[in-house]
Amino acid sequence: MHNDWIALFVILPMLGGIVTTALRGHVMLQRFAGLCVLGATAITAWTLAFMISPETPVLVSWMGAWQPPFGIALALDGVNATLLVVANIVAIAAYMHSFNTIAPALERGWFHPLFHLLILGVNFSFITGDLFNLFVAFEIMLMASYALIVLGGGRAQLAQAYKYVVLNLVGSTVFVLTAGLLYGVVGTLNYADLARIVSEAKMTGAPLPTGFQTLSVMLLFVFALKGAVFPLWFWLPDTYHTMPSSISALFAALLSKVGVYAVLRLFPAVFASPGIDGLTFVQQLLPIAAGTTMVIAIICALSAVNVRRILAMILIAHVGYLIFGVSLMRPGAFAGALHYMGQEMIVMAGLMLCCGMLEKRAGSVRLDELGGIAKAMPGLGVMFFLLMIGLTGVPPLAGFYGKALLLREGIDAHAWWLVGATVFTAVLTLVAMLRIWVRAFWGETSAPGLVVPDGAEAGPAPRYGFATAGIALTVFVSVGYGLAAEPTLAWATRATAELDDPQAYIAAVLGPQDVAEPHTAPAGHHDTVAMEVSR
Amino acid sequence: MTVLLSICVAVIFAVSVYLLTSRDLKSVAMGLFLFSHAAHMGIIAMSGQPLLSLGGETVRKASPILGTSALGLHVDPLPQALILTSIVISFAVTGFLLALLVAQHRRVRSMDVTELREEDRPEMPDDFATAEAA
Repeated sequence: MHNDWIALFVILPMLGGIVTTALRGHVMLQRFAGLCVLGATAITAWTLAFMISPETPVLVSWMGAWQPPFGIALALDGVNATLLVVANIVAIAAYMHSFNTIAPALERGWFHPLFHLLILGVNFSFITGDLFNLFVAFEIMLMASYALIVLGGGRAQLAQAYKYVVLNLVGSTVFVLTAGLLYGVVGTLNYADLARIVSEAKMTGAPLPTGFQTLSVMLLFVFALKGAVFPLWFWLPDTYHTMPSSISALFAALLSKVGVYAVLRLFPAVFASPGIDGLTFVQQLLPIAAGTTMVIAIICALSAVNVRRILAMILIAHVGYLIFGVSLMRPGAFAGALHYMGQEMIVMAGLMLCCGMLEKRAGSVRLDELGGIAKAMPGLGVMFFLLMIGLTGVPPLAGFYGKALLLREGIDAHAWWLVGATVFTAVLTLVAMLRIWVRAFWGETSAPGLVVPDGAEAGPAPRYGFATAGIALTVFVSVGYGLAAEPTLAWATRATAELDDPQAYIAAVLGPQDVAEPHTAPAGHHDTVAMEVSR
Repeated sequence: MTVLLSICVAVIFAVSVYLLTSRDLKSVAMGLFLFSHAAHMGIIAMSGQPLLSLGGETVRKASPILGTSALGLHVDPLPQALILTSIVISFAVTGFLLALLVAQHRRVRSMDVTELREEDRPEMPDDFATAEAA
């Protein structure tokens, strides 16, 4: 069954982690093996994405061939295929960048295995079709990220890391509690089965089980904490600038988007499904979270002087866009959010990697210490500029299309104050980015690492081939993503159709639903009885 | 039984939240430890009665092993599987947290949240600092 190939998204990074652990001490071999594994994962994602068609909208693999809905499902559809392709390209770029920018002592340590385990967690959380498995995937990802965040054991890192660990631990515990309670309430944790229960409740008008909305709010708390939604984002800017730059690019691009992906996947179809009376509170909560996240984060971005901190705040503001797209509960807005999410991952990673180059070459990422970078490092200047206009959404590039689609849907839905907040955020993003551009890239060259002391001979400029190639990859992909807007937008529209109407997804995962007794296998039938009696 | 368990869960949650609000990171770690315990017990409490009333007669549910009892009369094993997974994970993460606190105390010489906040936050990351620990 070719469907089982989707398990490769978990197997390949795990292989990467194991191989690079075994090769510890042989840095060149680790790099080569790691790149091979990441490349293979990206190629798998690309290939499998083309197997998704209107006839087979979802590729499903039941682990251990357990009968649906009792087994654990891995499901690949248009939404997570898009994100997997982008995530693995980002991973390659960040990995290549790390060859030049990370301290050699760290690279000889545990950097390589942890990197692959982080990718394992990210891929696993994208591909899983089961809420408890999502918890496990989050934990794998977080465990790797806890270790990466303190890699090297710097003073600032250790003083800030506890925040990240403690908060995520609270989030994880709430998640496991919610998953357990949800199982007690509805008797399943499979996404498709949950969607089936909710859509049946919608059709028959029967009320959802008591406490379902409370569980929705608890899950929103968990995902908002992961996705850095206001007011749960305070841990993010404090930790992002203490990490090595390639890791912070990875965190910026992937970790927060995993939380947003979970919201996009689960809230329209299940936990905030429109048209159900019992879920109105969650439906009202989503736009409020989106609006406040955008506005407050972008104002914070204007007040920072550290380029990394500015980018982290812009990242949070743009998470607000994505939540805005989800909160509208319209198919067009989902498509816009998905399209924008792909673009945002690439561009944010690219900008964070540019920061890494600044640190390495110019010796600073503070706006008050930088100047004239464009003259001293023209290549970096060009790449930064392309990423910058991609982030702010200048028309030929991809940021424009997602944002335009979100705004159009917002206007159609008469969500005026959210549309206003989006425009406000877009303008202030431009201001914040121009602030970096004018202060750091224009003017006289003045950076600790670039100014040669009087009398000293300027040495040959160091070349960072891998780092430049990594940034160039993100630039290339983000520009291509924008220029190919027609196919990518059509793809996003097709992929997100199921979020609005989950029937196709349910049928693909659980089998045809029009049969009165869907689980005809004898074992499955008896299990159903057993579970109902035991409750 | 379920009521008793629920009261236990509530008390443990209350204690853990109290510990989590502490300024001392050791207490915070213990609070997290209890927090995950409370969550696990909450899931157990949610997984239903271990007793079953059949025609006015109360019987204990059997272990969930196929062939040992009639189908439908055994305990739902899935919540326990969830908890088992979760215990292992929280064990690992708590271990990591304690190790982190030890490392932090050695390096920063403080376990107090307020002192850590006042700890200088160098705007430059420690990219270039070669790992002394390694």
